Amino acid sequence: MAKETSQVRKQIRTRLLSVGFIALFGLAFIFPIPLNKVIDGVNGTVALGIPRLPEKPFQLGLDLQGGAHLMYQADVSSIPYDDRGEAVDGVRDVIEKRVNALGVSESNVQVAKVGEDFRLNIEMPGIDDVNQAITLIGETPILEFKEENNEPPRVLTDEERVQLDAFNVEAEGNAIKALSALTDGEAFEVVVNEYSQDPAGRSNGGDIGFVNKNTMYGEEVFTWAKNHNEGELSGVIDTPVGYHVLKRGGEQDGEAEVEARHILVCYLGAQSCQNPQYTKEEAQEKAKEIFETVNDANFAELAKEHSSDFSNKDNGGDLGSFSRGSMVPAFEDAVFNANVGEIVGPVETEFGYHIIYKTGEDVLKEYQLSDVFVRKMNEIDILGPQDPWKNTGLSGKQLDRAEIVTDGQTGSIQVSLKFDKEGTELFAGITERNVGKSVAIFLDGDVISAPTVQAVITGGEAVISGSFSLLEARELAQRLNTGALPVPIHLISQQSIGASLGAESLSKSLYAGIAGVLIVMLFMLLYYRLPGLLAVLSLSMYIIFTLAIFKLIHVTLTLAGIAGFILSIGMAVDANVLIFERLKEELREGKSLKAAVEEGFLRAWTSIRDGNISTLITCALLIWFGSSFVQGFAATLAIGILLSMFTAITITRFMLRYIVPWFGQYGNKLFLGYSSHEKEQ
Amino acid sequence: MINIIENRRIPFIISGIVFVASLIALVTLQLKPGIDFTGGSLLEVQFTGERPTIDQVEEVIASADLGNVVIQPAGDDGMILKMRFISEEEHQQLFTVLKETFEKVEAVELITEEGEDVVDGSTGLEVLTVEGDSEVVMLDIETELPDDALSARVLEKRFETIGSVISNELRERSWQAGIAVVLAIVFFVAYAFRRVSKPVSSWKYGITAIIALVHDVTITMGIFALLGYFYGIEIDVPFVVAMLTILGYSVNDTIVVFDRVREKLIKRGRDKFAETVNMGVNETLIRSINTSVTTLLVLTALFLFGGESIHYFSLALMIGIVLGTYSSIFLASPLLVVWERIANKR
Repeated sequence: MAKETSQVRKQIRTRLLSVGFIALFGLAFIFPIPLNKVIDGVNGTVALGIPRLPEKPFQLGLDLQGGAHLMYQADVSSIPYDDRGEAVDGVRDVIEKRVNALGVSESNVQVAKVGEDFRLNIEMPGIDDVNQAITLIGETPILEFKEENNEPPRVLTDEERVQLDAFNVEAEGNAIKALSALTDGEAFEVVVNEYSQDPAGRSNGGDIGFVNKNTMYGEEVFTWAKNHNEGELSGVIDTPVGYHVLKRGGEQDGEAEVEARHILVCYLGAQSCQNPQYTKEEAQEKAKEIFETVNDANFAELAKEHSSDFSNKDNGGDLGSFSRGSMVPAFEDAVFNANVGEIVGPVETEFGYHIIYKTGEDVLKEYQLSDVFVRKMNEIDILGPQDPWKNTGLSGKQLDRAEIVTDGQTGSIQVSLKFDKEGTELFAGITERNVGKSVAIFLDGDVISAPTVQAVITGGEAVISGSFSLLEARELAQRLNTGALPVPIHLISQQSIGASLGAESLSKSLYAGIAGVLIVMLFMLLYYRLPGLLAVLSLSMYIIFTLAIFKLIHVTLTLAGIAGFILSIGMAVDANVLIFERLKEELREGKSLKAAVEEGFLRAWTSIRDGNISTLITCALLIWFGSSFVQGFAATLAIGILLSMFTAITITRFMLRYIVPWFGQYGNKLFLGYSSHEKEQ
Repeated sequence: MINIIENRRIPFIISGIVFVASLIALVTLQLKPGIDFTGGSLLEVQFTGERPTIDQVEEVIASADLGNVVIQPAGDDGMILKMRFISEEEHQQLFTVLKETFEKVEAVELITEEGEDVVDGSTGLEVLTVEGDSEVVMLDIETELPDDALSARVLEKRFETIGSVISNELRERSWQAGIAVVLAIVFFVAYAFRRVSKPVSSWKYGITAIIALVHDVTITMGIFALLGYFYGIEIDVPFVVAMLTILGYSVNDTIVVFDRVREKLIKRGRDKFAETVNMGVNETLIRSINTSVTTLLVLTALFLFGGESIHYFSLALMIGIVLGTYSSIFLASPLLVVWERIANKR
C-alpha cells in the first residue's frame, strides 16, 4: 500500500516537473535574448553547439506599432462577371508594387470579397507619409504601347546654336594656346594640367597608352599617329567630341585581327533563330551537306541561299574584320585557328551550325600617345539623351483584353491581345512602321514586354510569343489586363495611427496588464491562503503558456487582443475559485482533505465546462463578425479560456495532490482558513 | 444563509424599475452612435506647446467646408475632431490649416555670429526644425527670446475615416452577431440542462437565463444612453463586443448557479423546491462574488491605465459583469421558483 502511494507520488512529481520544465521553456521562448546570451557563453567555452532560440519579437498590430490600414472598394461594374476576380488580382499586384516602392517593410495587400464587392486591404506598418501612399495607390495603372524612337532630334534654336558655337570657339582657342605653349617648350605635363579635360590622360601626365585603329579616341587620332614618327608633335586635331594636341610615343605589335565570312544554319530552339526550318539534327546534316559543296567561288551564292544570318547573307556572309573578344568562343577559336583562305565547319555555337571562310588576317599596329584634350560641346549636350521609345497614342484604353493562348503548331504559350476599333487602326499603323523592330509595352512607366513585330497586323488581334512559362504568361496577361480593364478604386476606410500613439498604447496596456495580474494574485493569496498560492503559481504558468502560444502561432497582438488577454486572466482565476469553494464545502461536510480535493475537482468540472462554453460560443461568433478589433479580442480571449481550463484544473490539481499529504487528515488553517477537524471539536 | 428566494420581491422591484427606466432612456435618448456606425472621420492631434481652446480651433476650421465638426479635448495635450467622411485632400487641408495656425517653429531666426558674445552655454536654445532635427542655437546675451520661439508643434496622432459602405456593414453585422449569440446561448442552455425536467423543464432554465441576460444588457445600454446624452459618449464596435461578451459572461454565471441547483435537486429530490434553490444559490454566492471580483479587478486596471481607446470598452464590461453577477443571484434563481409556482397552480 505504502509502496503504491509512493509510486503515485512519484508519478505526480514527474508530471509537476515536466509542467515546470515546459513553463521554463515557454519563458525562454518569450524572452529569448538573455537566454541566448547564456547559450552563446556556454558555446564559447564548451563546444556543445547548443542551438540558439529564435529571437522573433511578438507580432504587433498597427494600433500598437503605428502605421496605416487602408481599405479600397474596387468598382468592377464595367467588367464581365467571370473576369472580376482576376482583374482585382491584377490591381492588387500593381498596388503591391507601388507600396513596395515606398519602402514600407512588411506591408500587406490583400483582396477580400464581401458579398459581391471586391475590397483591397492594405496594411502599412510604420509608414510616415500616408498621404503620399494614398496618392500613389489611387492612380489607375497606365498601360502604354511605345515604338522605337528613330526621329531625328529637334534642331537647335538660334540662341542655343550661338551658345554652342561660342563654347567650341573658346575650346579651340584653348587647344591652340596649349599647342603654342608646347611649341614654346613647356613641359607636356604642365600643359596637360592646365588645359586637358581627359581624366585618364590627366592622371598620367597626358599619357593615354597605346591606341590601335579601334581606339575610342577616334579615327582622326589613329590616322595622325600612324602617319607620324616618335617624338613628333601634332597640330590641333579636330574630332567630333573635342580637340586633341598629340605627341607620338613608340609603336608595337598589338593583337591579331581576322576577316571572315560565314553561312549559318540555325534550328528550332537555337538562340535568335528567326525562321527555324530544321531540328538540331537536320541542321547539322544540312550544314555538313553545304560544307561538302562549298568553295571560294560559290560561297556567296550558298550564303544567300542557305544562311539564316539575315544581317549578312546577301553580301556573301561577310562579317568584316574583328579581333578576339567580339565573337562567341567556339566561333572565335575556329576562325583564329584556321589559315587564311581556308573554309572550316560545321562549327556548333548557340546560334546554330556555321561554315566559316577565313579571308584575311592582320596584326594591328599600336602607337603610344600623349594627349591634351579639350572638350567640345555637341548638340546632344543641349538636347539631352534621346528617349529610346516614343509614344504611339495606343494605350490600355484601346486594349479590349489579353489572354493566354497556346500556339496550335508548337504548343508554346503565348499571350494574345485584342484591340478595340480605334486600337486596331493604331496598332496596324504601328506594326506597319515597325516590322522587324521592337514595340515596348509599358505599365506604370516600366517595360513589361518588348516584343518584335514580325508582320503588319491589321485585324486588331496579335500574339506576343516567346519562351514564356505558364506563370510568366499569366502574369503578363494579368498586367496587360490591369491597364486594359478600368478598375477604379475608392478609399472607403482609413486608419492611421502615429508611432507615438502606438507606443503609448502598448506601454499603457502592458502596465494595465501587469497591474491587473498583481492585484488578482494578491487577492487570491489573501483570500485562499495556501491554495491561493497554488492558484497564483498556476496563473503564472497560464500567463507563460498563453504568451508562448501567441508567439508560436503568430497571433498579432492588438490593443483589443491585449484587453482580451487581460480579461481572460480574470476569468482564468474563476476555475480556481470554483474548485476552492467546492473544496471548502467538502471540508465543511467533514470529508478528509484528500477526499475533499478529489471531490472538489470532480464536482466543479461541469460548472467550469458549461460556464466557459457559453463564453467560447460568443468568441466564435465574434470571430465570424469579422472586424479586426473584434477578431483580435475574441481570438485572445478564446485561446485564454481554453488554456485556463487546462492550467487551472490540471496544474492546480497536480499541485494540490502533491502537497495534501504534508498536512493532517483534516487540513488546517492554511487551507482556506477552514479545517474539517475544527468542526468536529 | 441569506433567504434570497423569500425576499425576492426587493430585487424584483429594483430590477423592474431600473429595467423600465433603461428602456425609456434607450427609446427617448437613444444610444449615440460613433463613426463606426454612422460613417465619418476622426482626427486626433497633439499640441506639444500650449493647447488652443476649442473655440480657437473651431474658428480656424470654420472656413473649411467640413460640415458639423465635434471637437473634444483628449488627454492632457490632445484634441479629437469628429466630422463627416472626408477625402484625403480634405484631410490634408484640415491638418495643414491646424499646423499653420498653431505651429510656431519657422518663426525662429535667432542665429548670431557664432562664438561672439556668447557668455555661457546656458543661453543655448534648442530649436526643432521642421524636419524634426534639433539643433542648438547660441543666443547673443542681448538678444531677447521671442515669445513664439517655443517649439510648439502640431502632431497627428490618429486619423480614421469610415465610409458609409463599411458603417452600414458594421451596423448590420452587429445586429446579426447579437441575434446569433442570443440564439446560440438559448440552445446551449437548453442542451446543458436537457436531463433536468422535473419540476421545472429544461427550456425554462434557458428562458430564465435569457431573461437575466436581457436584463443585464438592457441596463448597461441604458446607462450608456445616459452617458451619451450627458457626456457625449459614443458607442462603437468595441461597445458591441463588450455587450456580446457580457451575454456570454452573464450566462456563464447563471449556469454555475443553476448547475448547483440541479445537483441539489438530484440529491434532495423535488420537494421543497424553493428551499433547495435557495440553498444552491447560497452555496455558490461566494464563488459568484469572488469570480466577478477578480474579473473586475483586472478590468479596473484596464479602465484606469489602459488608455483612451479602451476606456469605455472596459467600463461597459465592468457594468455588465456587476449586473451579470447580481442577476444570476437575485433574479434568475428566484424566477425559477416563480415558474415552478405557476406550473403547480395549474
